[in-house]
Amino acid sequence: MTRLPDGKVAPGQDPSVGAGAVGDPAAALLSFDGVVAGYGGGDVLHGISFQVPRGGITCIVGPNGAGKSTLLATVSGMLRPRLGAISFQGRSLVGLSPREVLEAGIVQVPQNHSLFREMTVRENVEMGAFILRDHELIRKRLHEVEAMFPVVAKRAGDKAGSLSGGQQRLVEFARSLMLDPALVVLDEPSMGLDPQTLKVVFETIRLMNEQGRTILLVEQNARAGLRLSTQGVVLESGRVRLEGPGREILENPEIGALYLGGATTSVAGSGGGTRG
Amino acid sequence: MASSILKAVIDGVLTGGVYALMAAGLTLIFGVMDIINIAQGVLVVLAAYLSYVLSTQLGIDLFVGLLITVPTLFVVGVVVEWAFIRRLAGRERTAMSILVTYAVAIIIEGLLIRQFSTDYVQLNAWYVDRSFRLLGLYLPYIYVFGFALAAALLAALYMVLYRTRFGRSVRAAMQDRSAARLVGVNVERVATLTFGLGVAVTAAGGMVFGATNAFNPNSGYDLISRLLTIVILGGMGSIGGALGAAVFMLTLEDVVSVVWSPTWSTLVFFAALVIVLSVKPTGLFGRAAARAQ
Repeated sequence: MTRLPDGKVAPGQDPSVGAGAVGDPAAALLSFDGVVAGYGGGDVLHGISFQVPRGGITCIVGPNGAGKSTLLATVSGMLRPRLGAISFQGRSLVGLSPREVLEAGIVQVPQNHSLFREMTVRENVEMGAFILRDHELIRKRLHEVEAMFPVVAKRAGDKAGSLSGGQQRLVEFARSLMLDPALVVLDEPSMGLDPQTLKVVFETIRLMNEQGRTILLVEQNARAGLRLSTQGVVLESGRVRLEGPGREILENPEIGALYLGGATTSVAGSGGGTRG
Repeated sequence: MASSILKAVIDGVLTGGVYALMAAGLTLIFGVMDIINIAQGVLVVLAAYLSYVLSTQLGIDLFVGLLITVPTLFVVGVVVEWAFIRRLAGRERTAMSILVTYAVAIIIEGLLIRQFSTDYVQLNAWYVDRSFRLLGLYLPYIYVFGFALAAALLAALYMVLYRTRFGRSVRAAMQDRSAARLVGVNVERVATLTFGLGVAVTAAGGMVFGATNAFNPNSGYDLISRLLTIVILGGMGSIGGALGAAVFMLTLEDVVSVVWSPTWSTLVFFAALVIVLSVKPTGLFGRAAARAQ
């Protein structure tokens, strides 16, 4: 069931159908409540409210300037909201430093390639556990991510800057799992990737989710992101335009015309997804 | 002539090691913080005066005195960062840092003039004026000791950067500050400690500088122009580059001084910068797109 910001069901939707998790506070891992945030003198977010259900994949889409990355910055502690509340497992995130957010169980993979290019792949992955002091635990986690991401062991001694874009993205994912986070926040994971690599990256996101991690991602490739997700949120000019199950948003004619290039009827069978 | 050139090359390498140490502090600070510390030259002179006071007033050997001057300069660096640098923010941070650290240099210079006047002084110890003979060449002890000290401290700096958790956080901050924050590095704390470290290494450089040159409170300006030349030539933010550029430039200067004339050696020093940058704008060892912000 797709909901508009005022809580009404979107036109053409049956209120009795859809993911029950949406809007259910008990199932929410992360909640935004009236979040206002911005840079300098202006606001980018104008009262964002929605919930990220536990165990799902929530995809935020919207045009450039909608405030998607700004919203993620308020989660990771890089930007403090001016108004409103953000809570994670019942604990407020407002005012926490990025390190404290990590300790709470949230890891963010930023938009641009964020590996330390002059460090080796192994060093980069170990940096994911920078806040840990338990060397035995770090070693154990390293073995786990090496098993999940073969590139980590295969290219362990190589400089991260020498990897391809797709490999770098996978190493970033590996690094994000070193803290065994409850929530992984991904900012534009498909950016700059070719279709084949994108497919691998999206399958990896699905795998991370199947292992029990909640995923919150911002995705410019709205079709692919929404097809992957259990919940979609459409942002427009710093406000929630629509939220609901990803597939329902994909099929919403208005949203399809605005953000997905129209032709929503062909969405289910179009390329760019991960089920091909 | 050949032996004179060989001697000039050896002198250049030995002096270059000490300059490399001073430039390493400058490039480290730039690498982590995007701060161009114009005060680095006068901080070297401050360190030289500290060594001078410890030596003349308390009779402490110049090298032993480093046990006091290095931590003192570290504290000075931390205080300068806390009082002046931390407040710089925004897109103009790097440009503003030039003005702010220049102001810091003026303040320190004024205090030194008030305390010591503008008369030239030089550090003294038994090894300052003595030489030993090796393969037919006379090598001053102070140059050899200074080079050994610089090599040891650069090796220690390398160990800190590549073998410790703090070093890893410094390297992370040098390469991508946002990403470093997102993995839990306290970038502000790293910046403060790095500034302290970058200034602390000047204590050793200042002592050797003061033992090999007569100096007064104004000596910092010639020094900072040389150090900036070395750092730019080596590639901003590259410690290895600073090391290579320092040895290259000082050797070049010494050889030109012997072969041509001391008058031209300074000109060649700066002309080399212009020539290299016109061919390779990122410096000898620099890379394009040094790091993300």
